[in-house]
Amino acid sequence: MTHPVGKLVKIWFKLNGNAIAVETPAHWTLLRLLREKLKLTGTKEGCGIGECGACTVLLDKRPVHSCLVLAPKIEGKHIETIEGLGSREALHPIQKSFIDHGAVQCGFCTPGMLMSAKALLETNSNPSREEVKKAISGHLCRCTGYQQIIEAIEAAGKMKR
Amino acid sequence: MIPPFDYQTPKTLKEACDLLWEASGRAKIIAGGTDLVIGLRNGDTRPDLLIDVTSLKELRRIEEDEQTLSIGAAVTHSEIADSLLVRRYGRILSKAVSEIGSPQIRNLGTIGGNIVNASPAADSLPPLLVLNAVGIVSSYEGEREVPIAQLIQGPYQTVLKAHEILVRLSFRKLSKEMRSGFIRLARREAMAIARMSMAIILRQEEGRIKEIRVSPGSIFPAPQRLIEVEDYLTGKVPDEGLFLTASKKVSETMIHRSGIRASTSYKAPVVEALFLRAIRRSLEEEDGTDWS
Repeated sequence: MTHPVGKLVKIWFKLNGNAIAVETPAHWTLLRLLREKLKLTGTKEGCGIGECGACTVLLDKRPVHSCLVLAPKIEGKHIETIEGLGSREALHPIQKSFIDHGAVQCGFCTPGMLMSAKALLETNSNPSREEVKKAISGHLCRCTGYQQIIEAIEAAGKMKR
Repeated sequence: MIPPFDYQTPKTLKEACDLLWEASGRAKIIAGGTDLVIGLRNGDTRPDLLIDVTSLKELRRIEEDEQTLSIGAAVTHSEIADSLLVRRYGRILSKAVSEIGSPQIRNLGTIGGNIVNASPAADSLPPLLVLNAVGIVSSYEGEREVPIAQLIQGPYQTVLKAHEILVRLSFRKLSKEMRSGFIRLARREAMAIARMSMAIILRQEEGRIKEIRVSPGSIFPAPQRLIEVEDYLTGKVPDEGLFLTASKKVSETMIHRSGIRASTSYKAPVVEALFLRAIRRSLEEEDGTDWS
């Protein structure tokens, strides 16, 4: 076995609904691939060790920390990021609800929170307050705006129904 | 920043075993990566090659036969928590893994990873010990079975050789008569490492405790059952007085095995309380098992 020098691997995956192929160093995380190669900087890096939830994206519809997923792992998978949620012109109902409820303060935790909210509301459009809290239990908001975030997610569920 | 390595995703178990054998100790197995990627990032581990086992079908199944339930090592915590089979035949494990980390961690992290990472605070280990679970291990040299209780040697150390893969774990399905209770204590509910936990399985017959297994988590370097407490309770009629005496034996056993430490004045009453709550819960009419 030769000593590794940062071998490139070619991966195919679906990104926000579009199939793409990219070459990435095997040791890059999905977060780094998204931000540095694909220039999708909506996904944020907070702690880098899977505790803060800022880097949360959906992997086959389930929220995961993109800082803990190595790029070769997403071969054949569907990755959804904040860029696929809505556009400036056409906000997703969850984004609209966050704005309406004052659930965005500094905004750093928001993309991750929105992705977990989307995953929750797609499987359960009428979550209880406890279910909402559980769904965002892996996210830290250092502005401590949790109350508004919880209310925004509940209201977005109601809008959806 | 994570230093470079090669990455292979074998499609068959044989291919994975061959790769590990050829790498002779310079490769690491990756499943969910929730512990390993952090280790790569902070330099605790520097493998030349990562072998991804999450495409191996043998590691991805939950299966039952008449007697046993087996769970592939690369099944995620979320998948176990959602599994009706595990809820029915191993409720205590289902409960424990549903409280691990956060939703994001549970969607990536696997039961096999939780076992072989061998953290003293691993949430799956106390339930697996009271379930008498056995690990099935595969390698270039063949297959072997290792009881989970013997698999862990100490903090972050297992008896597995560098070329061995934990394929699945299996345990005898719990019958309707077996009751279970699990309690986990941490600084806060989500994203906190367990300070202490308690797993209990018991069966009564004619008003007496016929069979009982007790395993605390996070208080020993490697998970252990409290045989002294189990022996004391076996054959007795369950009541609060008995449980109080038994709870003292729990803390005595802890102190006997680990010695008096600075934390003992906190841990002794807390481990007693956890034991009391877990055993009461396991005696409740419904322990949450779905028999419908």
